[in-house]
Amino acid sequence: MHAVLLSLTVAVTATRAPEPANESEDAGARHRVCHEKRQFSCCTSQQGPCVRTSMARLTLLGVGAAVGGVAATMLFALGDRSNAGDPATFFVGGGAIAGAGALFGSLIGRLGGDAPGDDDRVRPSTLGVDYSVPQPGALDETNPHQMRMTFAPNFFFRNGGGRIRVFGHVGGTLWQERQVDPRPQFQQPIEGQLGTAPVALRERRLSIGVGADLAVNLPYPVFARSSFLGASELRYKPEFQIRRETLDPGLPSQRVIERTMMLPLTVGARWRLSERQRFTVYFGPRLDTISFAEPGQEGLERGGAQIGPLYGEAWYDVDFPMTRGERRDGAVRRANVNSQLSMGYVHSRFDGRGLNFGPVVGFLGPVHVRWATRVRPTDWPVALQFGAGATIGNGLSAAANVGVVLPDLTERERPTGGQR
Amino acid sequence: MKLAQVSGLVGLGALASALVWGACAVPECTNPDYSDPECRVVAENEHARLRTPSSIEVRFQDPAAASAATWDARGRLELEEGVVHARVAGPGRFAISLESEDGAPDMVTLELDNVDPSADVWIDRAGVETPVLAPADQSLRRSIELSITPGEPVFVRGRRGCPEHYRVAFVSDIQTNPAQFERILEQLEQEREEGEIVGQPLVALVIAGDLTESSRDDEFDLVEGLLRNAPVPVVVTPGNHDIYRPRHPHFNRRFGPGNHVVQVCDLRLVMLDTGSGAIARSVEARLPELFDRGDARHMIIAMHHPPYAGLTGAGWSREDRAQRLLAEAAIADVDLIVAGHAHALRDFPAIGVGDATLRQVIAGTGGAYQGLGEPRFGYLRVTVGDAEPQTCFVETPSPGFSGPQGQGLSDRLDYCP
Repeated sequence: MHAVLLSLTVAVTATRAPEPANESEDAGARHRVCHEKRQFSCCTSQQGPCVRTSMARLTLLGVGAAVGGVAATMLFALGDRSNAGDPATFFVGGGAIAGAGALFGSLIGRLGGDAPGDDDRVRPSTLGVDYSVPQPGALDETNPHQMRMTFAPNFFFRNGGGRIRVFGHVGGTLWQERQVDPRPQFQQPIEGQLGTAPVALRERRLSIGVGADLAVNLPYPVFARSSFLGASELRYKPEFQIRRETLDPGLPSQRVIERTMMLPLTVGARWRLSERQRFTVYFGPRLDTISFAEPGQEGLERGGAQIGPLYGEAWYDVDFPMTRGERRDGAVRRANVNSQLSMGYVHSRFDGRGLNFGPVVGFLGPVHVRWATRVRPTDWPVALQFGAGATIGNGLSAAANVGVVLPDLTERERPTGGQR
Repeated sequence: MKLAQVSGLVGLGALASALVWGACAVPECTNPDYSDPECRVVAENEHARLRTPSSIEVRFQDPAAASAATWDARGRLELEEGVVHARVAGPGRFAISLESEDGAPDMVTLELDNVDPSADVWIDRAGVETPVLAPADQSLRRSIELSITPGEPVFVRGRRGCPEHYRVAFVSDIQTNPAQFERILEQLEQEREEGEIVGQPLVALVIAGDLTESSRDDEFDLVEGLLRNAPVPVVVTPGNHDIYRPRHPHFNRRFGPGNHVVQVCDLRLVMLDTGSGAIARSVEARLPELFDRGDARHMIIAMHHPPYAGLTGAGWSREDRAQRLLAEAAIADVDLIVAGHAHALRDFPAIGVGDATLRQVIAGTGGAYQGLGEPRFGYLRVTVGDAEPQTCFVETPSPGFSGPQGQGLSDRLDYCP
């Protein structure tokens, strides 16, 4: 807990991760005995600094439950009238991810998932394509699939101090979305349609986003007593998202509406609970602009930015190195394969996704679950990465992605081991 | 099995699922779930017409309609013990058609509800108008006996007189505290009397959702009973707490449409159903039509979830639709947006949308729990006249408080004198 709390206050100092100390034979024996007895406070690995992963996860579970519980209490006690309602809602969602992630991570850990990680773990592909499929609409409606081209090259700093990732996407709906008017007085067949409800709205959407994610490793340990809880890093992630929607409600002129979400001051922290498990949180203010073209107008009417709801993300990632051991037939592996499962809560309903249940409507953002696999043929500088995921919120949408992982532009600076 | 084979099988499975999923499209609301706003659009239209056992078709109509061929969701119709009960969705003009296609001439009793006591109501038979007597008291109900001849549609029409200045009260979020809302109604009775004296009659009460806490029948019964004795016609739209039990359209059965337009004199009042955290897509398609002010000088839109939530965190679940609504409101030059959901009184006097500036007031002060601190109950009074609509807040203190507790509310919103 200290590691996380202090990560928000300690001055950012890029320092090299400490070299792994040579453990004595006694230490190695203690490590083996600890794992054989499945004791709670074992170090993850006898290599490098001792991280007591189970303790770290318990701490995260406690912090998540406490933060989420306090935030939920605030919402009920203060009422949703106060400005505290928005961050409190984020803390409820983030706390839930922290708690669920810690529990899931513990389960994976008990199944042997706390072994050393792989340097070539899954990260966003350098170039990729995302393809998402929404829930289908009603008869005569179309909910178009969406495709986005993505990029996310990495630049690693010297001496393992951190990295910056520039990321973005361009994409949109692949065909026109159609919505019908379901009012029941129309019972005559309509030419070109299967049902009797007339098409009321046609829409196309364009989506553009760009941002940067700066990660700076904190000194390890941040604080003497946090040394067993794992390393942490600070993050800064400014981001801009633009959505341009062309709506045709059957009038002589189309309407063009452009919505922009600006996140100039999003900051965050990552906590490495083990070599294979990480908890990441981002939080920051949001500014929105809405521009529109009136019917028949060429250019967009643009105006100033408005303060929007707070933006936040919370993610729990678990790595699954698939090719760490020897092959059973003893042959040499032809590829290195790593997978990752991520679950996250995003406190933003900018894209119309939000989790609603019972009377809790309009407070929470969506929940994401993603699986990704990276395949790197032996000795290849380029890897292939593919994955699938689902977004839960105002329905369910499934997505698949495929991409290539090119060598990092500053590959030789990229550290190995725990500080990646 | 190799990884590539597994991946291939998973991909094929996903593709097959998507194809099967997409091939099973059925018309909207075939399997009703009234937490879906599109289903409530269907429901509000279904409750705007009915057929009596003697085959008389009764329909709410656009007030300008001369034909009974279609209908419009401007009220709720219900048949009870042989009497057709028609709840008109709000003040201003209304029209109900009654038509029998065949059979013998028949009599029908039509009970109108939510009609201004001072409104002119008349029966229109092929252009021949017969006035309906106004109630002797301040009741919002009128009873009409009609004889229906097959093939001759009869219209019952109503219209309210237009003073130069008039007032409309807005409130939201009654939920757990109908007793406090009853006090607000008492205050409104006083406001109605005072308004008549100063030449600014109160013409309507607008409730922007959350009339109940859990959509239970007893809660709806209670609120419906209170509203039946309201001093002025009441215009309502549901909130998220009113659609809590999604197997039946409880709200629409009681009050009729959540998406509708009320035109009172030169004010166009557009009600939008955002109970699910967003309006229905088909309503989004109709926004240019709903926001077409025609000959109305002023336009106010009201809904439960505020399209601009600021930092309250209590906005639309679909922010994309909220922002598009704001753009449409800016295009239509809407005078004021009134919402609830947040249990508070908040004024956002300058929301920049494109090159326009919109104003939004959250008036979630109808009685619902407001958290720690001094509660602020009451209603927003909007005075409409020649100039821009004027706003102020009328506080209805709960027992134990002697009067307004708050300070100035914002640059443009203060307590009513």
